[in-house]
Amino acid sequence: MDVLIQPFLSNTFMLRALIAGMLVSVSCGVVGTFIVLRGLAFIGDALAHGVLPGIAVAILLGIPGIVGAAVSAVVMIGGISLITNKSTLSSDTAIGLLFVGMLALGVVIVSRSTTFSGDLVRILFGEILGINAQSVILQAVATLAIILTAIVCARPFLLLCFSPEQAQVSGFSSKLYHNIMLTMIAVAVIISFQTVGTMLVFGMLLAPAGAAALLAKRMHTMMIYASLIGMVSVYSGLLVSYQFNIAAGSAIVLVATLIFFAVLLIKNLQLARSRQKGVPDHD
Amino acid sequence: MKHLTRIFLTPILIVVLLGLSACQPAAASPQNGKKTIVVTYSILGSVVKELVGDQANVVVSMPNGQDPHEWEPSAKDIETLTHADLIVQNGLGLEGGMEKSLAQAKEAGVKFFTASEHITIRTVGTGEGIPSGDPDQAVGAQDPHLWTDPVAMKQIVDALTQTLQTELGIDVSANAKLMDAKLDSLNQEVATEVNALPASSRKLVTGHESLGYFAQRYEFKLVGAIIPSLDTQAQASASDMAALAKLIKDNQVKAIFTELGTPANVSESIGKETGVKVIELTTHALPKSGDYFDFMHNLAQTIIDGLK
Repeated sequence: MDVLIQPFLSNTFMLRALIAGMLVSVSCGVVGTFIVLRGLAFIGDALAHGVLPGIAVAILLGIPGIVGAAVSAVVMIGGISLITNKSTLSSDTAIGLLFVGMLALGVVIVSRSTTFSGDLVRILFGEILGINAQSVILQAVATLAIILTAIVCARPFLLLCFSPEQAQVSGFSSKLYHNIMLTMIAVAVIISFQTVGTMLVFGMLLAPAGAAALLAKRMHTMMIYASLIGMVSVYSGLLVSYQFNIAAGSAIVLVATLIFFAVLLIKNLQLARSRQKGVPDHD
Repeated sequence: MKHLTRIFLTPILIVVLLGLSACQPAAASPQNGKKTIVVTYSILGSVVKELVGDQANVVVSMPNGQDPHEWEPSAKDIETLTHADLIVQNGLGLEGGMEKSLAQAKEAGVKFFTASEHITIRTVGTGEGIPSGDPDQAVGAQDPHLWTDPVAMKQIVDALTQTLQTELGIDVSANAKLMDAKLDSLNQEVATEVNALPASSRKLVTGHESLGYFAQRYEFKLVGAIIPSLDTQAQASASDMAALAKLIKDNQVKAIFTELGTPANVSESIGKETGVKVIELTTHALPKSGDYFDFMHNLAQTIIDGLK
């Protein structure tokens, strides 16, 4: 059992990675639940990739990548709103356009500067083992903000997820709360890219929440399960990365995905078994 | 809700069992009471090993043959770094992928010896190769490839001997004397061999700008590089390629030397276009013997043979 704790006790960088990962699990658990319930996976993925040009420009200018990522996210969300408002195009066309356009812009910026390639890999896949104390504090603040927003907006979010028509009736502007949700997704993506990277943060948003959706029917329970599953993934992933010399960020996302499939399998086996016994399906 | 607990426990158990099944204990430092010196890359590592002998444990972070500009440490590698008694690094941004880990080691209070602080740093000069707009290749940019100059290595050996005494209380002055003599001889030998080449043949085109110190010491002209940068991570562009082909023809360069990380297809196409030989050169890795002196002899010999 000692082998399960030792790497974290004797290494500050492992402990810090663990804490950062736990924070990411909570933010992604909360935000991921909205993504799964509202079908926002596409825009979540678009945001995860669309932050690339912002980060690239920020690194070139010597300012923190997070600032660049934030600017990118604003541009993307703004761009999507603009297209959907000024045309009859559906939102997924708008999202697709911004997604591909900004990703291409990011690649062009990166290819113009010859000092970039290694940094690009680290942006895409994260550098959780290199996290410093400042970043952890920033993540804690952002995670807190996400939790608070989720609590404050609990009722309108609940209505948006389960009965959008009722949201309008109850006097909540669905547009406003939709945008707040998008902003939360953007914040979750931005603070997480340092740990798992922009390519993989999407995995942390979907896999734990997806597994939680199979286990729980109520929004707040889903969020708790998603966060817990995320945390288990972070812990196991870091341990596996340490023991088997595997890239840490990818190990974490791989574990989260495996847990999802394990839950899916078990759920289906249980359903099959209860059908066999002639017992009516209950959750 | 007990079936839920089962659902939860099963995946966790699977992961935990996987983890336990092939576990090794945490990277333990050798229990022999000696200090541990960690050197970042293999070439510098071989020199430090020879200097220190068996007075301390010398560990090299990067496996020999890995690209020092790009290699990234694993969790266990970072653990070794943060628990070292002394880290010997190159400096000048050579170890690109180790930046954050080295910073963590510094934060953990590990002592550092930076090789580049004890030599005369070479900066990129005007008219050298292709100006690519890359800050790495701008005139005045600092060149980290100090190991191709035996005289620079001698300065490092001397400085490190002092650091080992003051920081770790280890006296390696006897070995230092031997190595100084060996490095002096090496310098003389290479200079003599190189003199067989007429000045008009001493023109270098390499994979990236890695032979600056060698060129400075032995009077070669740096015509250009396939990747116009001090770093392998940069990319070649079409205009740079055309400029390089022209430079090769104008300077009547006899061979192009490719290195670790040089894109093969690009070097071949330039070779075909200019009609010049493409020769592989090992500049960032030790030969099988793991010896620095063999490395320098091989380097010099390959260059001289290629340009005859």
